[in-house]
Amino acid sequence: MKKRIILSLLTVSSLYADAQMDAIKEQLEEQKEAMASLNAKLVQLEQKSTNNSASFSQNAYLPDMAFILNMSVVGRNVENSNYNDETTGFAIPGFINSGEAEQPFNANRGFNFNYAEVALHSTVDPYFDAFAIFHISEEGIEVEEAYVTTRSLPYSLKVKAGKFRSAFGRINEKHHHSWMFDEQPIIYKSLFGPDMISDAGVQLQWVAPTDTYIMAGVDAMQGRNNRSFGNMEKNNLYVGYVKTSLDVTDDLSLLSGVSLAHGETDLQKNSDVYGVDLTLREQLGSYSSLIWQSEYLQRNRDTNSVTLTTEKQAGLYSQFVYQYSNNYSTGVMYDRITKNETESLPTTYNTDNLDRYTAMVEYKPFPMSRLRLEASYDRTKVIDGARKDVKTVMLTLNIAAGAHGAHSY
Amino acid sequence: MKKLLFLTLFITTGLFASLRVDTTYSTLGAITKKVGGNLVKVTVLGSSKYDPHFIVPKPSLLAKLHRADLLIMNGGGLELGWLPPLIRGANNSKIQNGAKGFLDISHYIPMIDVPTSVSRGFGDVHAQGNPHYTTDPHMVLIIARAIMEKLLKLDPENEAQYQRNLNSFTKEWQTYLKSFDNKMKMCKDKKVVQYHELFNYFLKRYNYKSYGNIEPLPGIAPSSKHTISLINTIKKNQIKLILQDVYHERKTAKFIASKTGAKVVLIPHDMGAAGSKTLEAYYNTIATNICR
Repeated sequence: MKKRIILSLLTVSSLYADAQMDAIKEQLEEQKEAMASLNAKLVQLEQKSTNNSASFSQNAYLPDMAFILNMSVVGRNVENSNYNDETTGFAIPGFINSGEAEQPFNANRGFNFNYAEVALHSTVDPYFDAFAIFHISEEGIEVEEAYVTTRSLPYSLKVKAGKFRSAFGRINEKHHHSWMFDEQPIIYKSLFGPDMISDAGVQLQWVAPTDTYIMAGVDAMQGRNNRSFGNMEKNNLYVGYVKTSLDVTDDLSLLSGVSLAHGETDLQKNSDVYGVDLTLREQLGSYSSLIWQSEYLQRNRDTNSVTLTTEKQAGLYSQFVYQYSNNYSTGVMYDRITKNETESLPTTYNTDNLDRYTAMVEYKPFPMSRLRLEASYDRTKVIDGARKDVKTVMLTLNIAAGAHGAHSY
Repeated sequence: MKKLLFLTLFITTGLFASLRVDTTYSTLGAITKKVGGNLVKVTVLGSSKYDPHFIVPKPSLLAKLHRADLLIMNGGGLELGWLPPLIRGANNSKIQNGAKGFLDISHYIPMIDVPTSVSRGFGDVHAQGNPHYTTDPHMVLIIARAIMEKLLKLDPENEAQYQRNLNSFTKEWQTYLKSFDNKMKMCKDKKVVQYHELFNYFLKRYNYKSYGNIEPLPGIAPSSKHTISLINTIKKNQIKLILQDVYHERKTAKFIASKTGAKVVLIPHDMGAAGSKTLEAYYNTIATNICR
């Protein structure tokens, strides 16, 4: 009996051992397979990480590129020949003579293709960034801006050199398509023209090492802008400015600045433009905000006259924009000439109350495309030798494709 | 007297030794504090109240960037719309892309949802993959290690302290993760829809399946046609959860909920959102609201 029990126990245990062995073998097999598949993957990965780009290919170093298209359809109560003709076009009394206004944007009643712009940016090396913006219109290609900025200067300094827009005031640096209204503020148009202060030169900017943002800068430029400057004999335009910003609350921020542009006219007389600007922005949500932006500019320009040796002219604009959502926003702007002490004022008609009212509604299907409907009632214009209230309605389409431009403050 | 002088010198150098670190978002800021301890002074640039893609580039941020020794960013294209001009305007050579004081955390993250083809016709897609990786609590230690390596390079004298900080934080976080993962195992209902693909890293980690988004394409506002098709998807698949973030409008989600019986839950996309004051609170809030 005992023998039998032992025997059966023995067979059972040996059977059990066999089963265990089988299980281990199976596991080993599985592991082998797993190893093999891992090995295959490794080989694949190694193959992938070998260089398979074309020899001498430099695609990875291409500059960031964006292109911008701007076009409009315009309705206006003035015929094209009376508005933008080179001899009979509009005048702004004391500032722009008839036919002298440059009008690259929305000049025609009817359809306007304003421009295509190509913007390039590239980091040159550890020391420089380079930017170029080519403005292409039916008149041809223009270098709107092309400059380098430094990346690694000590003492909080930065230098910009090339052709660029001066950092004077609040909007001088901004391109037409990034303004909150398609109409240019009258005082900027009157003192600097549509391109504003944009010239060859060098800029030096310094940021103060303080908790509050304070930035001071100087732009030394050629001074070819002949609306306010224009002495072509030598470089003669110097622009200085200080800007500061405060966060009043987490959501309410303020940016303000004072600027001075000192240059010489084509008569080699001093011409100084002073500017003060203030922007308040209340953030109501990620896609919603209230923005109130205003600027006041005054020009003191010496003349050859003996009766009025310095003419003083000034004006302001104030704009208020409510961004309702990432798709819709609306706004109003008021423009006014506040001072017009010049001998070039005509006496045949009243030149008081030069002002303009503008309103707009904007629809952005996506951050990179924008449709804007804008209406303005303009009382600054002289047409055909008499004051004329110009009423304009325009629908503009602006596209910014390609590299993502950052959202501006 | 000499002793006093030494002491004051020591204290002042101690004050100056602290590194100023700016991070673009709050979660990165909190992890930096854990690793840097009192050797770093952390400033967060972008408020978690707002859409991380659309932080307002306030000029006051220039003053903050101007004084930073190190800028830690999320990367993956999340800051593309607001940070580059701020970096250029801050006149700080230390934090330029490629400089020693610049850290892009996304370079350390195994990115998911990397598109095989990219066009703006598909909306605001990120070519580098989904950048919202901080929603996964398992990323925290990868981020912490990347930050420590950078701090060692900038401040090698305090290597031992950073190591100690990282070690103790690693232990603390591993314990937290263990209990967190156990809690997540109890969640039964794994079907969701979300507004924007903000939570994919979290959903992938805990085997959730996202059936669609309230926005028809990334960065594009909801349309009625898309909303109706989403309602049908929810009904067909018996989805009970709609993940809403703090910064998008909530009307659409509520409407969908009213038509389907699904529940809208508020999920923070970053620490600080939906009242989550600490890292643990951030992930706990996600878990509490998502776990059914």
